[in-house]
Amino acid sequence: MSNRTSIKVALEIVGTVLMVVGALLIGAVLVVLSENNPIEAYQAMIAGAFGSKQKIAEVVVKLIPILIMSLGVSIAFKAQLWNIGAGGQFLMGSIVSVAIALYVPVPIWLRIPLSFAAAIVVGAGWAALAGWLKARFSANEVITTLMLNYIAHYLLLYLINGPMQDPYSDLSQTDVIPDGMRLTKLLGPTFRLHSGLFIMIAVVVLMIFFWRTTLGYRIDLTGQGEKVATYSGINVNRTVILTMGLSGGLIGLAGWIEIFGIQFRLLDGIAGGLGNTATIVALLGSLNVYGVIAAAIFFSALLCGGASMKRMTDVPYSVVDVIQGLIIIFVIAKNVVWDRCDPMKLFSKKKGYSQHAE
Amino acid sequence: MASLAVKMRGITKVFNGVNANDHVDFDLRKGSIHGLLGENGAGKTTLMNVLYGLYQPEEGTIAINGRTAEISSPTKAIALGIGMVHQHFMLARPLTVVENVMLSRKSRRGIFLDTKETARELRELSDRYRMGIDPYSKIWQLSVGEQQRVEILSAIYLGAEILILDEPTAVLTPQETEIFFDTLREMRDDGKSIILITHKLEEILSIVDEVTVLRLGKLIGAKAVDETITKDDLTRMMVGREVLFHFPPLTRDPGDIRFRLDGISAMNDKGLVALKDFSLELREGEIVGLAGVDGNGQKELCEVMTGLRPSVAGKMTLDGEDVTNHEPAFYIQKRISHIPEDRHATGLALNWSLKNNLILKSFARPPINRNHLVQTKKVEENWLQAEKDYQILAIDGDEQVRCLSGGNQQKVILARELNCEPSVLIANQPTRGLDVGAAEYVRTRIINARNRGCACFVVSADLEEILQLSDRIAVIYGGRLMGILPRGSDPLEIGALMMGKGLEEKLEERELEQQNIH
Repeated sequence: MSNRTSIKVALEIVGTVLMVVGALLIGAVLVVLSENNPIEAYQAMIAGAFGSKQKIAEVVVKLIPILIMSLGVSIAFKAQLWNIGAGGQFLMGSIVSVAIALYVPVPIWLRIPLSFAAAIVVGAGWAALAGWLKARFSANEVITTLMLNYIAHYLLLYLINGPMQDPYSDLSQTDVIPDGMRLTKLLGPTFRLHSGLFIMIAVVVLMIFFWRTTLGYRIDLTGQGEKVATYSGINVNRTVILTMGLSGGLIGLAGWIEIFGIQFRLLDGIAGGLGNTATIVALLGSLNVYGVIAAAIFFSALLCGGASMKRMTDVPYSVVDVIQGLIIIFVIAKNVVWDRCDPMKLFSKKKGYSQHAE
Repeated sequence: MASLAVKMRGITKVFNGVNANDHVDFDLRKGSIHGLLGENGAGKTTLMNVLYGLYQPEEGTIAINGRTAEISSPTKAIALGIGMVHQHFMLARPLTVVENVMLSRKSRRGIFLDTKETARELRELSDRYRMGIDPYSKIWQLSVGEQQRVEILSAIYLGAEILILDEPTAVLTPQETEIFFDTLREMRDDGKSIILITHKLEEILSIVDEVTVLRLGKLIGAKAVDETITKDDLTRMMVGREVLFHFPPLTRDPGDIRFRLDGISAMNDKGLVALKDFSLELREGEIVGLAGVDGNGQKELCEVMTGLRPSVAGKMTLDGEDVTNHEPAFYIQKRISHIPEDRHATGLALNWSLKNNLILKSFARPPINRNHLVQTKKVEENWLQAEKDYQILAIDGDEQVRCLSGGNQQKVILARELNCEPSVLIANQPTRGLDVGAAEYVRTRIINARNRGCACFVVSADLEEILQLSDRIAVIYGGRLMGILPRGSDPLEIGALMMGKGLEEKLEERELEQQNIH
């Protein structure tokens, strides 16, 4: 890596950190407005995220789906495909996992790999559907993935209130999956941390190499523009569908892990805000694997810490939502500001580096 | 000597520690057309942006009509009667001509718009200079040439007495250029002063009264243009050395037919016929030039030949094998290289690094790729080799292609397209927008490729270029092949074919009708 590139990377990191600090500062103002002490609030937040072994384990539990999903989202984003349907793809993955785990009449040991594969395939299909609509009819993927989110959500509601509802309960939920199928608890029964962690690590390792593979290059180049991609011999339509499929596949996998590691059943709200969080994390991490890892850790800590801040102080949880929202605004603003004033220029002394001197 | 409209003294403008302008003096006589000549990066546009108030100089003074002026913003420049037409037009495409003009100033009717009045005045002005602009047509419906006239019309309407035109003819066809120059002459005779930023020597010789030459931000000299000035003089001032205008012709006979087009027809993006029954043969080791006015099907032809556009009729063969209508990847694999007309959107991934742009077409194949992984080391080696072979000026291989000058960007494309030892090279407008030095370099490379046995097909709207390079000259008009002429043919004969001479009267009328409709 050359000198200039490292400066660029350093600037990127500084910018991102500044944004996060900015968001936290404005969050602090809100805490003051709600007549609380911001220092106490943030202390509670940090303690809530990292205060004990239990708390750290909880952050990791949160991290597993968030990181896998953000990496999935970032694949699509890299190709300039704005897949904001992570929530829906996650739900489809979860639904098919539970369906297979509960109903398919094969031995339990066989249901695990079967549901694992099915969750990936269905998540991939759900996203690839939006990709196909774009390739075939130029349908905007922002709209289609968003709409598919609703379909997935209402399908879930129908299933947990109808055919898949637990017959021994009045609650809107399915039966739990058998004990023997659940992911192993890594730190004993009092901790929720499960062996899905290893899947996450595997995904991260794969993603580090992914952007150097032929397929990674193809996806990246497709994001540079349809014309140049076609000119370079890429079938853009095929790549669009494939990219969405890969993106959705990872997100579907996150659904499987969440079912087999944490939830064990389907119920409403299972996706929580995971879909949106994954989108924000991907952007905050600049679609870069390491950036996304850092952003995912930050967000997992923010969410866990926020929950315990609410319990320990009078500060409402909505502060966490506000911080999330501010970060989105800052991400967008940063790109604009960085483009305008181009901090690279401060470091560039070599002759000839000037776009204006023509 | 007539009074000076603009007098700039000792202008210095620094970007990142580099002097884009280094104590430059510039004089513009009232009622004259003044050429500002220099290669890309010589500081022409910078100097004019200083005059237009877009940049503040670190040093130097400006006097307008004899009075010292602080030009702190374009608004101030406009108030002083200075108008500038940029290379890239600043027009709102969904709006009409008159609406665009009205964007620049307050309405005379308070909170109501004075559309009708403005439109009438614009029409009068347009008629006076025979620009033929309808104030109510929408910008996106106008051709590039018309849009340029709108920019000029708007500048004059807003009271510009001093008009700065940045490379105005880069987007015009030779015919449009002639009409455009007539308009400029009339404006000059009306007492307006015009600055023409250009790097085209022919333009300087044909229209300009005086010329100022810049090189690397420094003033080289200012001269009156008369019969004694030759192209070579100007080149030497501009480039600082002699430039090749004559390339050696083919020394051996061309080989077998490599690429054959047989009755190819194709549609353009609007679904209209753009290519009609086009047949041509490219032989190993020869350059076939395709002359023609822009927009006569050249782009579509190149796209059909590289799989970017399907043909609706006809057949293509490569070394005897049928290669009609395959995917672009097929042609890349067959080593048919393509230098596209549109460098920015098609030829380069602007946000990608230099070294990645060099492997745009080869990242999936060995040696760049092994076991489905792009080999970083090979990519770096490939870049270092290209940097050396093609003299690409950049900070390093990680620099974004976006940051390079046009000439260097074209070198990146050349390096990529020629490095794979192409069997056929299709070069569409390979030197458009490049300065003399860079254009010479590109042409030499094409000649070298030919000498190595590549079948080269050079499309250019610049007849000069076609004459310099081609072993055979094909002429296209209205999507049809008008004829094939040998090297050294009379330019006038080619020009006549470019204008469609020889097509049956009827066809010509139909073409005209179609053009009138659009």
